[in-house]
Amino acid sequence: MRHHFWKWPIPVYLFLGGLGGGIFCLAAILTLFVFPGVEAVPQALAWPGFISILCLGFGCLMLVADLGQPMVFYRAFVKSTSVLAWGARLLTVCMIFGLLWFVSYIPWEWFRPIADFFVFFRPLNIAIAGIAGTCIMLYTGIFLSTLKAHAFWATPALPVLFTISALSTACAAIALSIGWWPADTSIHSEAGLAVIESAAEASHILHMVDVILVVCEIVVLLVMVLSFLGAGNKTANKVGHKWVHGSYALAFWGGMMVMGLGLPEFMYIFMDGTVASSVIAPILVLCGGCLLRFMVVNSDERAPLPGEDLFFEKLPPRDAEFITKWTYGENIY
Amino acid sequence: MTRYCMVIDQRRCIGCQSCTVACRTWNELPLDIVYNPVLSEGVKGEWPNVHRNWVPTLCMHCEKPACVPCCPTGASQQDADGTVWIDYDKCMACLACVNACPYGMRDQSKLQPHLHRFVRKCTFCRTRRAEEPGRDPYCVQTCHQKARIFGDLDDPESEVSKLIGSAETFRLLEDMGTGPQIYYIPDLGGTAK
Repeated sequence: MRHHFWKWPIPVYLFLGGLGGGIFCLAAILTLFVFPGVEAVPQALAWPGFISILCLGFGCLMLVADLGQPMVFYRAFVKSTSVLAWGARLLTVCMIFGLLWFVSYIPWEWFRPIADFFVFFRPLNIAIAGIAGTCIMLYTGIFLSTLKAHAFWATPALPVLFTISALSTACAAIALSIGWWPADTSIHSEAGLAVIESAAEASHILHMVDVILVVCEIVVLLVMVLSFLGAGNKTANKVGHKWVHGSYALAFWGGMMVMGLGLPEFMYIFMDGTVASSVIAPILVLCGGCLLRFMVVNSDERAPLPGEDLFFEKLPPRDAEFITKWTYGENIY
Repeated sequence: MTRYCMVIDQRRCIGCQSCTVACRTWNELPLDIVYNPVLSEGVKGEWPNVHRNWVPTLCMHCEKPACVPCCPTGASQQDADGTVWIDYDKCMACLACVNACPYGMRDQSKLQPHLHRFVRKCTFCRTRRAEEPGRDPYCVQTCHQKARIFGDLDDPESEVSKLIGSAETFRLLEDMGTGPQIYYIPDLGGTAK
């Protein structure tokens, strides 16, 4: 059977999209609902916001790179009903309003007039970026789950899993980057001390949230994979076996469950206040989230047609290279 | 209203692959693209009672195609007569439709120039039918065993309507819910659906 049509840029895009969307979702919740009116909190979250914009931008670049023809990417915005087109629009909205929110915190003197202009719009910009970010998190899972041909993707559990994973990785990314430039963290000023205090408080909340999210992710992932293992559908069953004790078993149990979820959870709970909890655990959570996207995208088995596997096994491997050489490098098509 | 479909009589197919060759030749397909592979599960039974079933395939031109709504550019389209086709000028080769198709009947050629990639599939020879109304797709015209029969399902007098109404038929992966418009008349021993 021919599969694996999507190469590595797509899982990277799904990971970065979820991560970027999750950061803006959490930044909006913290700014507008958890700490309303506390100016030091959004200031401390400005750098994570910038990281989010970079993630979303790089994710889009990955998507364009996967097309192989960068000049036609604008076509992705055309059709109103396609999930992919909605994803492209949400990414654009999130990046634009996220950037407008971020620039209002840039402290450079020469940039001051522009930054000051956007200060008034901060709540509006972060609200729009937060809503778009939430939709991006949901979209990455929904996009795959609408492709019903693939048993492992066509499940309602996948958007739930991707959303939890996106929020969890966003918590980890914020924990690693909160309170950096352009936040004023000078211990000699009252404002700087307020930012340090707010950053610590926000980090504590995100730490607690991530402890819960990692547990939820473990539960959803196990339920999803084990239900596939016991499924009556042959294709789903095959993928379940691949994950639990097949070629993906090491990556699933060792990479995902232990290194990406179990160990960081242990560090979060039992090594709180150490480097393991504040640096190593978030990095492991981020790596686990990326690995999850790769494993899910590559689990694109579909029900074979009768005799399909036999037909494609007969075709010579690497025939594209052979044909290119055979035509002496001249591409006649 | 016209609704095109194809009936494939497995009892008649001998696996000569001439439909595949005709399609590739007339549609000038790149060497790594096959629109209508003729599949087989191999020889079944024990000597001397052996038989081999052939499953000629092509795009199923589904009633509710999974490949059309997922296309972000509107390149994947469905005509009123049920023909599913791709506007190559709109396609950006994102491969969403390739992943959406439960039958694996879409692909992009790796031999195409890097900056002009698009997804290809069978169109029931849409261009030919537009230029020469009443003509069959090339695979149907070529099949000397008359195993492929093309026609209008909404016309009760058409050969396809009569065959579907009278013979036992099945469709591939019907549980996917896309309503494939390729009907198979099973051969001896049947075929895994």
